Amino acid sequence: MAARRNTPSRRSKAHREFISEAEEILERMRDGLSDLADQQTSSGEADPELINQLFRSAHSLKGLSGMFGLDALGELAHHLEDVLDRVRLGRAGLDAAAVGLLDESVSLVALTLEKVESGTQDELLDRVADVIGRIDAWARSPEPTTECAEVELDPAMLRALTEYEEHRLQENVRRGRRIQLVEASFDILAFEEGLAELTVAVREVGEVLSTLPSPGEGAESQIRFSLLVATDIPPEDLEARLEIPGASVREATRAGGVAAAADPTAARASDSNVEPSLDAAPELVSLKSISDTVRVDIRKLDELMNLVGELVVQRGALARIARELQALPETARLAADLDKVHKGFERKLQDLQSGVLETRMVPLRQVFEKLSRVVRRLRRDTEKEVRLELCGADTELDKLIVEELVDPLMHVVRNAFDHAIEASEERAAAGKPAEGCIRLEACQRGNDVVIICSDDGRGIDPSVVRARAIERGIVSENTLLAEREVLDLIFAPGLTTRTEVTETSGRGVGMDVVRANITALGGLVEVQSELERGTTITMTLPITLAIIQALIVSVADQQFAIPLNSVRETLLVEPGEIQRSEGRELLNLRGEALPLRRLRREFGLGGEDQSGTGKQYSVVLGLGDTRVGLLVDRLEGQQDTVIKPIQGPIRSIRGIAGATELGDAGAVLVLDVAALVEDGLRGGGLA
Amino acid sequence: MQRVIEPSAESRWESLARAAASGETSEDAELRREFVTFRLGEDAYALPIERVREVVRLRPITPVPRVPSAVRGVISLRGEVVQVIDLRGRLGMVTAPAARTSRIIVLHGDDGAVAGLLVDLVRDVLRISEDEIRPCAGNEADVVHSLLADGTEFVSLLDVDRVLAFDE
Repeated sequence: MAARRNTPSRRSKAHREFISEAEEILERMRDGLSDLADQQTSSGEADPELINQLFRSAHSLKGLSGMFGLDALGELAHHLEDVLDRVRLGRAGLDAAAVGLLDESVSLVALTLEKVESGTQDELLDRVADVIGRIDAWARSPEPTTECAEVELDPAMLRALTEYEEHRLQENVRRGRRIQLVEASFDILAFEEGLAELTVAVREVGEVLSTLPSPGEGAESQIRFSLLVATDIPPEDLEARLEIPGASVREATRAGGVAAAADPTAARASDSNVEPSLDAAPELVSLKSISDTVRVDIRKLDELMNLVGELVVQRGALARIARELQALPETARLAADLDKVHKGFERKLQDLQSGVLETRMVPLRQVFEKLSRVVRRLRRDTEKEVRLELCGADTELDKLIVEELVDPLMHVVRNAFDHAIEASEERAAAGKPAEGCIRLEACQRGNDVVIICSDDGRGIDPSVVRARAIERGIVSENTLLAEREVLDLIFAPGLTTRTEVTETSGRGVGMDVVRANITALGGLVEVQSELERGTTITMTLPITLAIIQALIVSVADQQFAIPLNSVRETLLVEPGEIQRSEGRELLNLRGEALPLRRLRREFGLGGEDQSGTGKQYSVVLGLGDTRVGLLVDRLEGQQDTVIKPIQGPIRSIRGIAGATELGDAGAVLVLDVAALVEDGLRGGGLA
Repeated sequence: MQRVIEPSAESRWESLARAAASGETSEDAELRREFVTFRLGEDAYALPIERVREVVRLRPITPVPRVPSAVRGVISLRGEVVQVIDLRGRLGMVTAPAARTSRIIVLHGDDGAVAGLLVDLVRDVLRISEDEIRPCAGNEADVVHSLLADGTEFVSLLDVDRVLAFDE
C-alpha cells in the first residue's frame, strides 16, 4: 500500500474536520451551560452528570486543539477543564464567579473558532490570556473545607473507585442517602442491554455511583455486575422496583468492612447517618483511584509493532540456521538444543505479537458516532427524513485502518443520504415509509471485517449508469456488460448521475476515491442494488496490516509473498485441467468456475509458464466470498513478514501492496490480493 | 571573489584547507554550495548535497512490474524498501552493466520519501561559489538546468525533482 501522504488538500480537509468537530463540542457545551443556568435558578443544585458532561467536552476540546497546534485554544480549554474538574470533584463550589468564567470562556472559544477559519485567531491572544489569568485567580481561592463523611465499604471496592466516584459517594453520604449494592447477572452476549435497563431503572430513584463487574460464581455464560447506588428508598423497595430476575439489593454500609475516610486530616462528619466504625482507630485505606486504562500515542504502538516485526524476521533467520546446523553431523546435537530454544522463543514471540496487535485494535464505535452526527446535521440542513441504524459498533479493527476508513465511510453515507433516499412524497407514492433508512452494519468474518451500508432508497438504475458511462467515454456503446459490471461502473472516476452538484456530493469524484481508499487498505468494495428497493455497498477489509503470515511463491525465478489471510487453498494444476471460455481461463473447482490469472502474464515476466514438469500451482485467493486462482510456478513455503511500504517516486503499483525482507534475498514484493482479485473478476488484463 | 578551484595539480581538499588557513570570512563561506559529483559513462554530473542522504554499494535489486523501465526495482536498505532508478535510463542514455564502481545514491525526495539513483561511479564533493554555476539552455523537461565550473570541466547539475518526476 502507498505510504501515507500529507498533501495540502489533505491538510485543509483535516482542518475542516477539526472545525466541524470543535463546533459540535461547542454546541454541546452551550446546551450544557444553558441547562446549568436553568438548574441554578430553579433548584440551586447542579446535576453532577451535567457537570461531568461539560468536563468531558472541555477535555475533548483540549485534545482536539492540541492535535492541530492551536495552542491558545488548547490552553483555554485546559483551564476550562480545570474549573469544571474542581467543581465536579467538590473542590470548588459552583458559585456565580465560576459560572461567569464558564460562560465567558465558552464564548471566547466560539469566537476563536470563527477566527480559526480565516486564520486570524492570534488577534484574540490577549483576551485568552486575560480569561486564563482570571481563572487562575479563581482557582487559587481556598478550597471550601469539606466535611469528611465516613463510609464503610469493602476496601477492594473503594480502591476501584475513581476520584470522581469517591467524591459522589462522599457527597451522597453527607446528604444522608443510603448507599446500596445492586448485584445482577446478565447473559454475556447481551449484557449491554440488560445493564443499560438496570441503570435506567436505578436512575429513576437514585444515583449510580459506580458500575463494577464482579467476580463470583455464576453460570459460564453469565457476567455479574455490582452497582454502587445512592438512594433514599430502602433496599427491599429498590429490589422490587427493578424487576430484574436474579438481581439482589443490599445495604452497602452494613457490609461490615473496614471504615475509610477520604481525607485523613479532615474532621469527622457530625451529621452523617453512617454507623460508627468498629475500631476506635480505624485503618485508613488508600482511596487513590486506580485507572485501568492508559492512553498511548499510536506512534509508540507503531514502533512496538515494527520492533516485533524485526524480531519475527530474526526468528525466521534463527530457524533457518538451526535447520542448516542440524544437517551437519558435527553440530547436530547442539543444533537440536538450539531448535528447542528456538521453538520456545517462537511461542513467546507469537504471544507478544498477538499482544501488541491487540493494543492497536479499536472498535468502530467512534467512527459510527461521528457518522451519526453527520447524518443528524444533514437531516437538519436538508429537512429530509432519514434515520441511521448502526450495528456492530464493537467490531474492532487496527487503529490505522479505522482512521483511513472515516473518509470513505463518510462519503458512502452521504451518498446514500443525498442520492439514494428519495423525498418523503416520492417515498409515500412508492408505498414506502416516509422516513428513509440507512443501515450501517459491521461484523467480523474470519480474518476480515465486513462493513455494509444499505439503504431503502430508490436504488441504482443500471441504464442511467450505462448511459452516463458512455457519455463520459468510460465504456463504448457496443461493450456488452453484465448488470453486475454496469453497477460496478459507479466506481469509475468522473462518473456522476446527478445533474447538479450539491455541497455534500455530486462532483463524481466520490465513489472512485472510496474504492481507491479501501483498496489501499487491502480491502474490497462491492455494490448491489435493486430499483425502487435500495442499494447495498459492501466493504471487506483485513483486520490488521502489521505482521502477517505470507505464502512465498515463485514465478520466473522471482519470489513473491502473498498474505496467507487471503489464501483459501493451493492446488496442483495439470495443463489439461485449464478450461477456456470467452477469452478467460477457468478451473473447475468442485463444480464452481474459478477464474484464473497467470502471474507471469499479469506482471509481464515473460517466458512460458514452466516449473519444469508442465504443472503449475494455483493459489486460490479469496476476499469475502470472491475467489480467483493465481497461477504460479512453485510454492516455496510460509513466512512471517512485515509488509513495508515501497518508497520512491512511483506512488502506487497496481497489484503490489508493499515489500518485505526475506533473509539475504533482499526485498520480496508482496502482492495486493484485493487488486488481483478485482482484476481477476473483470477478466480483462491491465497492461 | 575567492578563487576556489585550481585547474589541476592541487586537490580540492588542499585548496579548501588553504582557504581556511588564510582566514576566509564567513560571508564568503555562505556563497559556497556543496555538490556530490558522479559519473555516467564519460559524463560528469552533480547533485546538491542537501538532497543526498547516503551513498551505498550495489546490492541485489528486486525488479518490480508495471513501472517505467528506468525504475530498475527496489532494494532493502536497513529495513526500508526503496525504489532504485537507473539514471542512465532516466536520462535517455544506453544502459550499461553494473561495474565494481557502481553505486546507489540515496536521495531525500520531495516529502520525506526516499529514492535511489544508480550511477557508474561516485566522485567527491564539489564546493563552489554561486557565481560558478551557469545556467544552460534547455527546455522545461530537461533535468539539467545548470552547469558547474569544475576547473576546466563542466559538470551537469541535476534537478532532483525533475529526475524523480515520472508522469504516470
